[in-house]
Amino acid sequence: MRALGVRSAFPFGVTLIAFILLALFLIYPLAQVLVASLLDPTGTTLTFANYGRVLGIAFYRAGLINSLTLGAGAAAISVVVGVPMAFCLARLPIVGRNWLLAIAALPLVLPSFVGAYAWVMLLGRSGIVTQALASVGLPSLSIYGMPGLTLVFALHSFPYVLLPTVAAFKAIDQSMEEASLNLGATRIATFWRVQLPIALPAVLAGALLVFVETIENFGVPFLLAEDRPILAVQAYKLFVGEVGANPASAGVLSMLLVFCTVAALLVQRRYLARRRFSTAARSQPPELVVGAAGRIGATVYCWGMVLLALVPFAVVVVISFMPFRGPVLHPGFTIDNFIVLIDRASRPLLNTLGLASAATLAATLVGLPIGYVLVRYRSALAGILDSLSMTPLAVAGTVLGIGFVLAFNAGWLVLTGGWLVLAIVYAVRKLPFNVRAASAILHQIEPSLEEASINLGVSPARTFVQLTLPLMIGGVVGGMVLTWVAIVSELSATIVLYSGPWATMTIVMFQALEGGSPGVASAAATVLIAVTLVPLLLVYRLLRRHELSLT
Amino acid sequence: MTVNVGWFKTMAVGVLFLSVAAATAHAQKQVIVYTSNEDTLNSLVFAGFEKDTGIKVQPVAAGSGVLVRRLSAEKERPQGDVLWGISRSLLDTNRAYFQPYRSQNRDAIPAEFRDPDDLWIGNNLHVMVILQNTKLVPEADGPRQWADLLDKRLKGKIAFTDPVNSGAAFTTTTLLVGMFGGGEAGWGKVANLFTNAKILNKSSLVFQGVGQGEYSLGVSLEYAGYLWANNGAPVKVIYPAEGTVVQMEGCAVIKGGPNTTSAEAFVDYINRKDVREMIFAKTFRRPARQDVDLSHLPGGMPPLASIKQAPYDEKLWTEARAATLQRIQDVIVQTR
Amino acid sequence: MADIRIEGLHRRFGAVEAVDDVSLHIRHGELFTLLGPSGCGKTTLLRMVAGFTDPDQGSIHVGDRRIDRLPPHRRDTGMVFQNYAIFPNLTVAGNVAYGLKARRVPPPEIARRVAAALGLVVLDDHGERWPHQLSGGQLQRVALARALVIEPEVLLLDEPLSNLDARLRVEMRGEIRRLQQSLGITAIYVTHDQEEALAISDRVAVMRAGRLEQVGTPTEIYHRPATPFAAQFVGTVNLLQGTVVAREGARVRLRIEDQLLLVPAMVAPGSGLSIALRPENLRLLTPDAPCPEGWGSLSARIERVEFLGPLTRLEIAAGRLTLHVATTETVDMVRQGDAVTLAYDPARITVFAPP
Repeated sequence: MRALGVRSAFPFGVTLIAFILLALFLIYPLAQVLVASLLDPTGTTLTFANYGRVLGIAFYRAGLINSLTLGAGAAAISVVVGVPMAFCLARLPIVGRNWLLAIAALPLVLPSFVGAYAWVMLLGRSGIVTQALASVGLPSLSIYGMPGLTLVFALHSFPYVLLPTVAAFKAIDQSMEEASLNLGATRIATFWRVQLPIALPAVLAGALLVFVETIENFGVPFLLAEDRPILAVQAYKLFVGEVGANPASAGVLSMLLVFCTVAALLVQRRYLARRRFSTAARSQPPELVVGAAGRIGATVYCWGMVLLALVPFAVVVVISFMPFRGPVLHPGFTIDNFIVLIDRASRPLLNTLGLASAATLAATLVGLPIGYVLVRYRSALAGILDSLSMTPLAVAGTVLGIGFVLAFNAGWLVLTGGWLVLAIVYAVRKLPFNVRAASAILHQIEPSLEEASINLGVSPARTFVQLTLPLMIGGVVGGMVLTWVAIVSELSATIVLYSGPWATMTIVMFQALEGGSPGVASAAATVLIAVTLVPLLLVYRLLRRHELSLT
Repeated sequence: MTVNVGWFKTMAVGVLFLSVAAATAHAQKQVIVYTSNEDTLNSLVFAGFEKDTGIKVQPVAAGSGVLVRRLSAEKERPQGDVLWGISRSLLDTNRAYFQPYRSQNRDAIPAEFRDPDDLWIGNNLHVMVILQNTKLVPEADGPRQWADLLDKRLKGKIAFTDPVNSGAAFTTTTLLVGMFGGGEAGWGKVANLFTNAKILNKSSLVFQGVGQGEYSLGVSLEYAGYLWANNGAPVKVIYPAEGTVVQMEGCAVIKGGPNTTSAEAFVDYINRKDVREMIFAKTFRRPARQDVDLSHLPGGMPPLASIKQAPYDEKLWTEARAATLQRIQDVIVQTR
Repeated sequence: MADIRIEGLHRRFGAVEAVDDVSLHIRHGELFTLLGPSGCGKTTLLRMVAGFTDPDQGSIHVGDRRIDRLPPHRRDTGMVFQNYAIFPNLTVAGNVAYGLKARRVPPPEIARRVAAALGLVVLDDHGERWPHQLSGGQLQRVALARALVIEPEVLLLDEPLSNLDARLRVEMRGEIRRLQQSLGITAIYVTHDQEEALAISDRVAVMRAGRLEQVGTPTEIYHRPATPFAAQFVGTVNLLQGTVVAREGARVRLRIEDQLLLVPAMVAPGSGLSIALRPENLRLLTPDAPCPEGWGSLSARIERVEFLGPLTRLEIAAGRLTLHVATTETVDMVRQGDAVTLAYDPARITVFAPP
């Protein structure tokens, strides 16, 4: 896609503002953490010795390897599961396809640590499924350790691969596969050699998100890794451990996480740079004709995967209606959990909804112009901005949160203690979503439209507002809703930044789960699911109309 | 243009909501409590305190490590009033962030459980115990002493907390090094114990795990065993025959916090005899004040005097903490 | 007076000189065409006038106004894009009114001028239609109306017809020329289609690798190409290279392959020469007809016959030399394999300086 070569203050202005905002709310707080990782024990000189020391410890090396394995494994499974499913959903007559698409994004809604708890209830050593299996003499499958972790992550985040890939398959012009078939390739060869390579950028972008979110997450391995070292968990513990707090080592581990993600981002960027396919389909590919067996098989596969991913939901909802005495679950039915919750969580629910909306708005207002400038006004500066705006993906929420406390608790800009700091941290963390959603939709809008507008006397800035924005709105709203949903389930930055009355629903859940009230935690999750369903259904409607793509 | 109008509407509604919420939050007298206690205990105490004093509690609940990090990060402009549910050694190392307060209940608390300068005061005591899931291990087959945990047949069945993240686990580990003969011999036996154990990230994972049947045995806190057992879980509390260690948890008034007077009221409230009894009845926290008669309260918890305590040099191990943690970590790596 | 003066214009993309030292003077009211193969820099040059690409060096004036430093939305040019760039979210009338709204023209006048512009492109009743309801030709007209309605000083057309079918292309190019002349507007027209360029332009600039190869009227370009490239790019041509073997007054005998041709040049024997000879300047003689005075002739054989209606194209071999010939003779007079005599007027041969 061609860039706009227009001489204008607009892209410069956007770039400048974006740099200022990112410098203030990303680089500055992160630098506080980075400096900690570079300080020698006396706290006066900067040195790389800490890196050598930490990497010299086998425990942390194992953590690094485990994290990378976990991320790669979850991404690989997401691709293996998600791509065939995406193809089925895009091209086969799946029974109840619209419903399926509507709920496919749902796994993203449930905070992953709640999902992990649900899996323990099912597949833990005394889990319901484990015991059922044991009672019929089958070996129990363990949810603990690397295989369990990988599965939980893959099931939680495969929609990141599925959703953009469905859109990508649908966007491949029919003539491509017709040409391939005409040249004598079989359907299968056509899939491998034409359709899959064209959809690959979308697949990879999704896989990258899975990788990054997996290695950044600490809530799930905290529960399920047992004593296998995981980088994010160790970093968290070194930052805030009751006994062994060691900011230097924690900084080193956090920075290792950042480096891993940045490396993954760069690899993906290099790969995509050489493969930028314009995939706006002139004629949408038709549904393939398959026999009853194929149809049933595909339907069972797709529904099976989505329902499997939704099992934690069912568990959580069921548990929320079961009675607890203290921390102990007893059989029966009750709405007591919800009664306790209403008392405790009406304010947090409003906080969550309000903060998520404010942060989504902020992330969009900043991310949209950035995405626009990146696609339409390429320059060396824009390249840096591109990398910078993707960096939040690479930063664990805890790390960014602590950076914010270090940076904004005193001095010339004080933010801690109110709602604004949470909104800003959320906006920064989810900025990449919005930048990507904006650039994805822009790739489908001909730049000559904007040139025509400018040529007719409308300035570049006004052209953006008056012409480009309305054309982008479908994709942008889709990105906004996904951002909103992701913020609603945010925990790791919130836990180090919230204060006083600004607790969110995830905080309520985390504390209830920690504090031996899983019933209340489940009730809170149930409420959150119900509340998030509404915008998700909205996204799904847009998905149908605008072929929303996350890439 | 319709697009912009929609945006501004959303934004206006959001800002309106947030400012209204912020305004109502400041209308009442309040106290901001940094608490590492769990939800149940928090809710119980905060509701009682509000009813009693009319002061609204704004809790910031997180692990004690997170709270202390926040405390030091916020030292220029403290955001909290009270720090509550923190171990003695952590209170001692962070004295710089507290301001002295002579509580009304000071004299009811034994001197060993309060700061000589009144910078902090003890609330409750944790006794380190072994928890046994009686559904997984028949009651009679359980361990009776620490040394029983070294049995090779228990491999993978014992839950232990990562000492990096838990003061209690650090204390237990170092206690056992001494008890198992000290020096290399002691460390060697601790390594044997760790070989049998799953080292979990957080102390709550240990007692939850034993309570839910994920692990047969757990090295954990006394109260948790009573809490789960009295609510119907198959959990038995074992006081090891060689003796164990008692860990104090306390609270402190944060220096320069926004509501110091309310903070002091909270410190007084939390150590009141009737309040301690109420807390015990619901959550089995053994009071630091020794004038509460446990035999009249539910649960059947033995008095402190009847529990054998092993000698433990807390000061020495606190000073050697960095090297010891490194050693523990090495042991963990070697035994995986 | 909206004449356009381009001086010393340079633009480099990476290692490629997209536009390399171009200077032009386009007169007021002229339809000036930039013609060349893809990648020759013609679109870059046009986009520099529009302001979508910044020149590295040089200047562009429209009348007395220097515009190359102005942002594109203040240049007052009307541009028609290759893919029309019709705003899909606006009606036809909305598209045409777009530039007027940007200029804060009062609404009644906008309505009047939009109606007039749509009338001009014969889309009077289509104002309320949506772009997706229109055909390619209609979209092209909307694009034209949208560019003209703002009464720009300069009209820029970037391969405006390349997405239309052949018949529509011929029709639309006539229409563009009619509108341009009736409005007396200065226009720069970019195309790679030489026939289109010859048909509608006042003057044509042939571009190659960022440089101007030749600037002239269509007849000058066609009949007196300045370079072999220009000769070859515009129309069909026999482009030949040979060595001078003898000099005869104002002519030389040029050996090309195994044939000798009479060429109007005054160079010493032994020199190399390039010449161009249009197919229609070669004449087939019946065996008994005499060769006209002063003409040269070759014995040849018809290799291939291509009947195109008004004329017939032949491929004729004279020894090892193959020549393209166009003739209006009816096809039954020439048959593949026939032996013929090929006559030519040396005066019609274009001679290029030795390479």
